[in-house]
Amino acid sequence: MKINTFEQIMRYTDLILYKTYADLRAETERTYLGFLWWIFEPVMYMSVFFVVFSIFMGHKTDNFVPFLLVGLTIWQWMKSCLSHGSESILGYRGLMQYVSLPKVIFPIILILTDTVKFIFIFTLLLGFLWLSGFSITQSYLALPILLIVELLFTTAITLFLAAIIPFFPDLRFVVENVLTAIFFGSGIFFSVSSIPPQYHFYFYLNPMANLIEDFRNVLMYNIFPDWHSLLVIGIISILGIWFSVYLISRFEYIYPRITA
Amino acid sequence: MSNNNLVLSMHHVGVAYRRKKGIFGDIFWALKDVSLSLHHGETLGVIGRNGAGKSTLLRLIASIIKPDKGEIIHTQGYQASLLTLQLGFVPYLTGRENAILSGMLLGLRKKEIMAKLDAIIEFSELGEFIDQPIVTYSSGMAARLGFSVAFQADPDIFLIDEVLGVGDAEFIKKSTTVMQQKIKTNKTVVFVSHNAALVNQLCDRVVWIEEGITKAEGKPKEIIAMYDDYLRNHAKTD
Repeated sequence: MKINTFEQIMRYTDLILYKTYADLRAETERTYLGFLWWIFEPVMYMSVFFVVFSIFMGHKTDNFVPFLLVGLTIWQWMKSCLSHGSESILGYRGLMQYVSLPKVIFPIILILTDTVKFIFIFTLLLGFLWLSGFSITQSYLALPILLIVELLFTTAITLFLAAIIPFFPDLRFVVENVLTAIFFGSGIFFSVSSIPPQYHFYFYLNPMANLIEDFRNVLMYNIFPDWHSLLVIGIISILGIWFSVYLISRFEYIYPRITA
Repeated sequence: MSNNNLVLSMHHVGVAYRRKKGIFGDIFWALKDVSLSLHHGETLGVIGRNGAGKSTLLRLIASIIKPDKGEIIHTQGYQASLLTLQLGFVPYLTGRENAILSGMLLGLRKKEIMAKLDAIIEFSELGEFIDQPIVTYSSGMAARLGFSVAFQADPDIFLIDEVLGVGDAEFIKKSTTVMQQKIKTNKTVVFVSHNAALVNQLCDRVVWIEEGITKAEGKPKEIIAMYDDYLRNHAKTD
């Protein structure tokens, strides 16, 4: 019996949405300040970078703070989805022993949870930019597309890692370290103009470097994104999602058997 | 029984687990050769000693795992689920939210669980507490809610592993009674137990599994008699 996985996901939309809501609510109920932590935590995190780069290292001019905050916000969205979502199939092993659910819903739930939190932070970022003198420009029209492409990209790698991590749990540590490496290579602290031209090609091989630059161009400089690279990232991401969903459905009945 | 109301049949089914041991690991067959059939409306008992593979068998029927050998034929349109209590409960959410979440995890659509919510709240006797977070519940209250949700989930084929009722003494009685009533009606049930008396009382047919192999299948009285004999002989040789 062949089951169409995408149809399955549709069948479970209710569950995915309710579980996302439930997880978000449980998170706010667990602390006194509740959902305010979704704002405080990134603000505190970003303040560290602000203090280090803007005060200690004296980047006072050239709009370095908004430059940095855009980069960090865009990066953190992908990063939190990836680190939470990639462990989700492994993490829900207990539940899988009792019910037959398509396993692909677990990473999707975590991506949604982190995306909801990102919406708060992103709104905050926009507010900060407007207060710092940047305004809504024509290029904002490209914003939805940028957001969708990043979501596709994030989903693709999260699903792929979620599919294979149950078999190689040790990968989690590798993933964390690779993420840190890419974090420094994505141009969050510097712009491409500050690296020698012969390395630009390699710099732009990293989708996050492209996305971060595009977001900055739109939000700060009224420049439309580089459509060509966006299209490539979008297409590769869609293929990646398709392949990962296939992998997960392939191992549907294997995951519950994995004993760690 | 005729074949047209067959809900599920298993033919020489085996399930192997890879145990991690040293570098290579070794293979352990939890089920070796199990054949059985399940018909609409009947209650099939599964008996066998601990480690006979009964839980693995239920997970196969629930389509949680697939067999490594043999074949399982499901009749389309029947959904089999384990009776699972407090599935996916989240401590910081209210009883109501947990009931909805758990019901959906157990396979109900949101509409269906919403329609059953009043019945769940009433049966669980939680009253006003239903809108309190379940961290504030006693273990008995959580058990009551868990049972009420699982009972209302009501899949086409109910798979029950030992436990019929839960909670404090009074609720155990109440939950066991409704469960037994449900089993006795035209519900398709697979009931796993090593309580031979209960199996005899509730089941229409019994399958006996020993060390992953179907030893016998048939009328409860006959099979249980064979099983008891076997146990007695084993007790002697042990």
